[in-house]
Amino acid sequence: MSAVEIKNLTFTYPGAKEPILKNVSLEIEEGDFLAVVGNNGCGKSTLCKTLNGLIPHFILGDMEGEVRIEGVSTKEQEIGTLAKKVGYVYQDFENQIVCPTVLEDASYACLNYAMEDYEEKGREALEICGLASKVGDYVWQLSGGQKHLLALAGTAALSPDILILDEPIAQLDPMHAGRIYDILKELNEKYHKTVIVIEHHTGYIAKYCKNVLLMKDGGVKWKLSAKEGLRRVDELLESNIFPPQVTRAALQMKRAGILPESVVLPVDIEDGKKVFAPYLKETGPFRRETAESRASERKLENGGKLVSFDNVTVTYRAVKGEPPKIFDNFSLEIRKGEKIALIGSNGAGKSTMLKLMMGLIRPGVGRVTIRGKETGSISKEELGKTISMVYQNPEEMFIMDSIRRDVEYAMKVRKVENYEKRTDELLEMFRLTDLADRDGRLLSGGQMRRASLAIGIALNPEMLLLDEPTANLDIATRREIMKTLQMLKGITDTVVIATHDMQLVCDWAERIIVLSSGYVIADGPKEQIFADMYVRSQVGIRPPEIYDMGRELGILKPCFTIDEFIGCFGGGQNA
Amino acid sequence: MHKLTENILDKISIDFLRNQVLKNAYGNDDTVIAGLDPRILLVWYLFFGLVPWFMNDLVLLLCFFLFVVMTTRAARIAPLVLVLFCVGVFTQTGYLFIAALFFGGNTGTIVPLLVMTLKVAVVSLASITVFSGLDPDRLASGLLWYGCPGQLSFSISFAYRILPVLMEEFQNILLSYRMRGNPPDKSTFFGKIRYLGYQIKLIIQSFYPLMLNTAKRSRTTVEALELRGYRYSLQNPAVKRMKLAMLKVTRNDVIFVCVSAVWVAVSFILSAGLSNVI
Repeated sequence: MSAVEIKNLTFTYPGAKEPILKNVSLEIEEGDFLAVVGNNGCGKSTLCKTLNGLIPHFILGDMEGEVRIEGVSTKEQEIGTLAKKVGYVYQDFENQIVCPTVLEDASYACLNYAMEDYEEKGREALEICGLASKVGDYVWQLSGGQKHLLALAGTAALSPDILILDEPIAQLDPMHAGRIYDILKELNEKYHKTVIVIEHHTGYIAKYCKNVLLMKDGGVKWKLSAKEGLRRVDELLESNIFPPQVTRAALQMKRAGILPESVVLPVDIEDGKKVFAPYLKETGPFRRETAESRASERKLENGGKLVSFDNVTVTYRAVKGEPPKIFDNFSLEIRKGEKIALIGSNGAGKSTMLKLMMGLIRPGVGRVTIRGKETGSISKEELGKTISMVYQNPEEMFIMDSIRRDVEYAMKVRKVENYEKRTDELLEMFRLTDLADRDGRLLSGGQMRRASLAIGIALNPEMLLLDEPTANLDIATRREIMKTLQMLKGITDTVVIATHDMQLVCDWAERIIVLSSGYVIADGPKEQIFADMYVRSQVGIRPPEIYDMGRELGILKPCFTIDEFIGCFGGGQNA
Repeated sequence: MHKLTENILDKISIDFLRNQVLKNAYGNDDTVIAGLDPRILLVWYLFFGLVPWFMNDLVLLLCFFLFVVMTTRAARIAPLVLVLFCVGVFTQTGYLFIAALFFGGNTGTIVPLLVMTLKVAVVSLASITVFSGLDPDRLASGLLWYGCPGQLSFSISFAYRILPVLMEEFQNILLSYRMRGNPPDKSTFFGKIRYLGYQIKLIIQSFYPLMLNTAKRSRTTVEALELRGYRYSLQNPAVKRMKLAMLKVTRNDVIFVCVSAVWVAVSFILSAGLSNVI
């Protein structure tokens, strides 16, 4: 029997001119692990909300057609009945956690539905989600990844047959992301749940999902097996979904005549090995890597010292018990003109490092200095001229009621000459002119991010700190943000980015600093960092797939882009 | 001197306030007081929060005061709350008491003022013991047992969950203002006053974005609550019974009640005895 049956579903939000879902018909088999892909605003989330009865019972609007869950129409079932069949984990999962402690929240729904063994059910769900050791903790003590697992546990506790997750790994480092998917896989295979994820990381789709559904403009374009779906490179690209790098590389090579027409496109490294290996032309030489790292070393010596950490020890004020030590005897130097990526798993001290530079935290021992002046002794306002920071959560940057007023705020109060002209320029540069009068909070994720960057560089700071600038963005918007970062050249020449996004790291960073529990465990150019297996295993960083593909094939020269990879094949005509 | 002002400024940073609030809400859940049954504690509070108003005996009030000082200590209340308590009591009546002492007040004026101050102090400390020492979640359950609506107990519990999130966000918004703002020069005396005014203005302004952001995030929360059966829990009496099943009167509760009763009895005897002597 199908777990979900949708027939001719059309839905229009109140006040909207056009329906967001147009005549959708779809069947999802029991026990499926389905990825829903599509560009922003194509109705993915809306579709998922029709499954758990939020539409039409809670969100009003014009609904036509029928949605059947396990054979019964959602219109004929109450939300409460549906909630026990269909679980939903939001993209902003933090807001769905409503209880102060972990166990309470996991068993909350079971208690509300008056299940006598609610606590037992909560414990079980926490066990499955790998939070068994956190049962007694408060929610605020959890890391971002753990909170996500808790939101999942709170949903899974009701043991619904269908689990829906909206972008489950958007804010997670690769290690935690892998863990979430492993748990989902277990739920799918061992507990026979139907799992539906809205996802645009095609690497994970290739690895974990059984089927993939492409949505476009409110309709279903196709539903295919994951491998087959991911091979439809052009259609996916059209919807701003980027198929796995291996697949794209193979398609390009096919078109360039390096691979024969008959080759079936690979979707993961395993497949890729079989497809690419026979055509590999050269595996060396090793020269380029050393030349490049030498070049960046030279650069390091050139720039003047901008920020330095000298034997810094930081402890946080503890709510209970021993104050936790974040940094112990930490030293580091940042020179002018450097493009630094700060990587490490959640909780490794990345944010603390940014906060130290902003003088938000003062070290217990040691000094953090900017141009020889201690950050703590410079007033925030003064510091704002030298350093600017863009938060992970752009909403916290919006202090006025329109984008224009937000961008001009700092210049206006500091009486910068011609600030209006500069504001116009900034709005133009970040393509915000049309949105200038809207409140920042009401924009889409990518627009908010652009606006927050515009605000961040308004004062022409010498140094810019970015905390996870690409989190929660789809891949097309991420590209756009990268382009924006390129535009900063010349204005703000020292940039530090704390990120999990390895693609961003590869495309942009010149120096990578790897933090692990408060220590710098590696510091150098990307070639060096990604080649270091020890570092990789310590912090769970994962280089772009194409890099691993190259390694797997025995290519000595590291490939960070598809073009570099293709260059190793077919010899002269392409390189 | 410079060191001292720096030290004080460091102490009253937003980060410090945040830590104190968190400490008060989450840091003392393993004390004797936190482990008591909230129903017992609420009854206890009914006595120590009401009775002192109707008493005028100095000895009796002093004894009560000593007792609530001990319970406050046992509840491990965060220092900030205690400082606020002292400031509060002082501004209510304490300053009159000191003024009377200095401007030739005799026992006739001092005793009534002392009585008044003690009353306020006893009631405040009893409140602090109960509302600050008790885990808000347990407090909510206690209130629920006495028939308060489920919405109220949910609000308390939810506030307890959301508090750290809000504090963190507030801190970040305030920082946005500070980093982008242009404060008045604080080298002169008037500049310092203007600077203080500027800071206060920022703090007030920061609440607006905070509220808007909270409104935005509540969209998900409302939907999630619906999905997680909040509405059903309010209608179903079985849920209330299950929620309250965890409330149990233990040996500690009995001991606590006995000690309180004995202390009160001894206080009455002592005050009666002393008034006979006088």
